[in-house]
Amino acid sequence: MTPLAGKDEDIGPPRWVWYDDTRVLGWGSVALVILVWEVAARISGVSPLYLPRPTQIIVALIEMFRNGGLILDLGWTLYRIFAGFAFAVVVGALLGVWIATSFRVRAIADMFIAMLYPLPKVTLIPLLVIWLGTGGPFMLTISFLGAIFPIVINTVLGVRQCDPGLVLAARDLGATQQQIVRKVLLPSAIPSIFAGIRLGLGVSIILVVAAEMVVGKLGLGARLYLSGQILETEQVFAVLIVLATLGIVVTKTQDWIDKKLGRWRLA
Amino acid sequence: MIAPGAASVRTPNIAIEFESVGLTFGARTDTPTVALKDVHCRIEPGKVTALIGPSGCGKSTLLQIARGFLDPSRGSLRFVEIASGQTTGRPAMATVWQAFNLFPWLTVIENVAFGLELAGLPRGEREARARVAIGAVDLAGFENRFPRQLSGGMRQRVGIARALVMQPEVLLLDEPFGALDAQTRLVLQEQLSRLVETSGTTAILVTHSIEEAILLADKIVVMTARPGRIAAEIDVKLPRPRTFATTHEPEYGALFDRIYGMLRDEVMQAMIIESDGGKE
Repeated sequence: MTPLAGKDEDIGPPRWVWYDDTRVLGWGSVALVILVWEVAARISGVSPLYLPRPTQIIVALIEMFRNGGLILDLGWTLYRIFAGFAFAVVVGALLGVWIATSFRVRAIADMFIAMLYPLPKVTLIPLLVIWLGTGGPFMLTISFLGAIFPIVINTVLGVRQCDPGLVLAARDLGATQQQIVRKVLLPSAIPSIFAGIRLGLGVSIILVVAAEMVVGKLGLGARLYLSGQILETEQVFAVLIVLATLGIVVTKTQDWIDKKLGRWRLA
Repeated sequence: MIAPGAASVRTPNIAIEFESVGLTFGARTDTPTVALKDVHCRIEPGKVTALIGPSGCGKSTLLQIARGFLDPSRGSLRFVEIASGQTTGRPAMATVWQAFNLFPWLTVIENVAFGLELAGLPRGEREARARVAIGAVDLAGFENRFPRQLSGGMRQRVGIARALVMQPEVLLLDEPFGALDAQTRLVLQEQLSRLVETSGTTAILVTHSIEEAILLADKIVVMTARPGRIAAEIDVKLPRPRTFATTHEPEYGALFDRIYGMLRDEVMQAMIIESDGGKE
């Protein structure tokens, strides 16, 4: 409701108007852009090689799903992302707790993190190809490398920000060192760890698709690159739509998980 | 109302003796801080001993030494069994903290049962015991709330329940009401007073508040400004149960004035020390 709404409207449930609804505004503007695109492309007669119309893209997308093996490419890409990422979550959280709780490990890890974290991970692709080839191990490694740094760094941050009073309280109640880690440090770091997981998954997606563009024969990145090579512009857009949808699904799922983790958010 | 007998079932029989206890922080640096110096003190079993003194006098440090979280750099700490006169190991202790220190991701009952869970008690038993303790601090019905959903006074009652459920022989109260507003403080002081009376547990209370010390304690230990030493030990003979009405007794007034007279000088001294950056 606008602050200038009439006095009578201040009482009772707010009146629904379409221009106050965030969903109408969000989806509506997307629909509007597509509509303008469609109409403009038809009127101007621009070559579909350069800018295909949305309807042509949709047709290409459906065709690719039905006969073109796009579902297989999607499957490969998802598998590569999540296999490496899952590994990074487990290793990253454990490593993070270890770094946070031991000053020796922290001193050692600090140097490696300082060296490797700012390095754009795509620059590792040539070296990894030399070492691992272009198959499964290469893809898992690249996805793992993308996710592990944000997860480790955020876990360390989360554990180290734990209120020392809580650790003292746990000790007072008889907690062993191991119980303090499992029942105090880890739970108190959960929001921070999930922030790291969010960032890490984003980097994993970027890296896997980029790696597929460089070396892959299967996968969304490879499909995108090959379609571009043979000027199948509708197919390029179709793959982009699949990637964008993947992004939406991942983001919304994480939002939902974040909500479920509400109990971990402090006061 | 506090349910009698809900808190502790043990008969306290271990005295705590501080013998010439001293503690220096940063002994190897250029600016060592002498926190405690030559502290002699005996904590009688089944009694409430209050440690009162200006801020920075080391009263919380003394509590940490009793708990075993800090080791004295001089002197020693002994636990003496009254009946036999023998030195024994550290009795079971539990602390109530000024900052509550509740686990924010656990519900009230999970917080209260935390220590029992660490000890490996089966779920049914620890929940039953936690419920009794929660009832004893008047929080029945709030078992499944999270700490952030409670007021400050209620949070500290959870803190008290979490300590009492461990059935400690010695209850350590580290400025338990320091973070609460004046009214809540009065009510909780009365509640805690009754709880400690009925349970008969040994307790050490660290406080800034003369009123709190008189209402709760059997003996008040007045400490000096840093380095913390013991200036006086005062027995409080006011009858129990003590309530807010006790503060109108002439004996209360006399006691308050006496302690305030001692503390005033020490507080002035502490302010000078703090403005010097805390150096000796």
